[in-house]
Amino acid sequence: MTATVLFAVLILLLFLGMPVAFAIGLSTLAAMWVQGLPFVALAQKVLTGIDSFPLMALPFFLLAAELMTGGSLADVLLRLAAVLVGQRRGGLGYTNVLALTFFSGISGSALADAAGPGAVLIRMMTKSGYPAAYAAALTATTAVVGPIIPPSIIMIIYALQDPRVSVLALFWAGVLPGLMISGSLLAYNFWASRRRNFRSDGEPVTLRLALRTLFRALPALALPVLIVGGIHSGAFTPTEASVVAVFYALVAGRYMYGTLTWQMLPGILARSAFMTASVLLIITMSSAFAWVLNVVQVPQMLSNWVGTLQLGPIGFLLVVNLLLLAFGIFIEPLPGVLILVPILAPMAFALGIDPLHFAIVVIVNLTLGMVTPPVGSLLFVTAMVARVSSSALNRELWPMLGLQIIVLALLTLIPEVSLWLPQTLGRR
Amino acid sequence: MQTEPTPSPMVRIDRHVLAINRLLMIVSLAVMSVIVFASVTIRYVTDYSIPWAEEVARYLMVWLTFLGVGPVMRLGGHVAVDTAQDGLPKHVGRAFRGAIMLMMGGFCVIVAWFGIAYVQRTLAQTTAVTEVSFAFVSAAVPVGFALAIWHLLAIVGGYVAERRFETSPDLDPDDAGAV
Repeated sequence: MTATVLFAVLILLLFLGMPVAFAIGLSTLAAMWVQGLPFVALAQKVLTGIDSFPLMALPFFLLAAELMTGGSLADVLLRLAAVLVGQRRGGLGYTNVLALTFFSGISGSALADAAGPGAVLIRMMTKSGYPAAYAAALTATTAVVGPIIPPSIIMIIYALQDPRVSVLALFWAGVLPGLMISGSLLAYNFWASRRRNFRSDGEPVTLRLALRTLFRALPALALPVLIVGGIHSGAFTPTEASVVAVFYALVAGRYMYGTLTWQMLPGILARSAFMTASVLLIITMSSAFAWVLNVVQVPQMLSNWVGTLQLGPIGFLLVVNLLLLAFGIFIEPLPGVLILVPILAPMAFALGIDPLHFAIVVIVNLTLGMVTPPVGSLLFVTAMVARVSSSALNRELWPMLGLQIIVLALLTLIPEVSLWLPQTLGRR
Repeated sequence: MQTEPTPSPMVRIDRHVLAINRLLMIVSLAVMSVIVFASVTIRYVTDYSIPWAEEVARYLMVWLTFLGVGPVMRLGGHVAVDTAQDGLPKHVGRAFRGAIMLMMGGFCVIVAWFGIAYVQRTLAQTTAVTEVSFAFVSAAVPVGFALAIWHLLAIVGGYVAERRFETSPDLDPDDAGAV
């Protein structure tokens, strides 16, 4: 009964168009009322939901990404990608995929990728005569690798929900799946450029220019090594690594590239603070929601029900994928992880699915929700920047999204893609 | 030189409320970053770590979040799914938004009210390291949601009529609320 109220109210409020954080909060409140729980517990839950040091990596990674965009670390990565792959046919398409993949190594979020360097790339591509919808679709689908290639805010949150996986193991496990997604888009750009006769861009690159661009990009390229290497060696916790990234980006932007000025700081801090508050409110409301689910024993009921279905590991994973794809159409990855992982991860574990493999499937799946029409935050951003309608964008999007679904299917069926790298590095 | 018409006292007060609210958010984030970075650096250089760094930073993050509820709302930064509103006739959309504002306002009132009760309960608790009353932390909930009521009233007209928010370089509604 209570669970029905919880989900019915949530769906109704989301349908009306209430902001997600408030819809989650109000449905929690309604369920607490039905269940006879004291409302003061909600005040307590929304506070304890974000009173967490590991969670602090989120504001720090958001701030670091803002500083890197302001301090042209994003620009030098873009130029490096252009020098490496820009001259062939469809060169700016390859540049787009490669630059965003580089940038995902220093940012932890898909929207930071799409709104920062992604927006620049869309403008460059449309100016050079690429169809705007193609540029927008390619950017949106490539930005998906932001939270899959480390560092990743979603992975940090995931590790807080499932004690069986560590942030570090998740980081390593995401590398190959992320590269597979980027690779599939590079291949698609190759095919589309031939078929549609996209032009080749840019001047021929001399070795001298290539080396100089690489040298200038070194400080930016060193950052992912510092973050993941620092966590891997045990030098930092993920939160400490994120704050080191903040000050590294500040120093590099101010003193190495000289493009970041002190006057820009209040604006950068304000943008990061607003973004942080918006995301953390969703997180803390979701944790209150998950608490009520637990009080009324929804996880137990669901796992009993799934037990009666007699699914094997593969069958379970396929059902979970379908469930998450449906869920991801309306819900962002973060509330998805917060609400569903505490329910699904123990069931997967009981079926003998490796927790790390399961985590990657869930994270890739929910992140794809950001590019599945009709509702996807990455689609909104890129459609805005490219000034194209969502129907035009969707036409270009489907084949790219289809490729990513294939990658997701491969990840689901072949655990080794996720597990090989962490196992080889001894970080299980 | 043109002079702008003198704004009403209410508008002036509102500008100050928003400016101070925004400033507190910026300061929270900046101080948080400096404290945690200093703590990591000092630990490397001297083997000594600042014992209160983690706790203070955590509570600043709590304050930052709840102080942000209202200002983020003003700029339209709480992500919502607008598909149904856009697909229905205009007056239906307006009715939806009227209902949303009523319910969100009610939610803020309830959380602020029970937040006060929560603060009263935590008066006697102290924080683990700094040993101050936990009420200094829990007050973030009622203060944040009370401020959110203020900010909600500032945008309610434009929101219900045509889903209009305030604009600012601080936040682009299209890329907020998700990571």
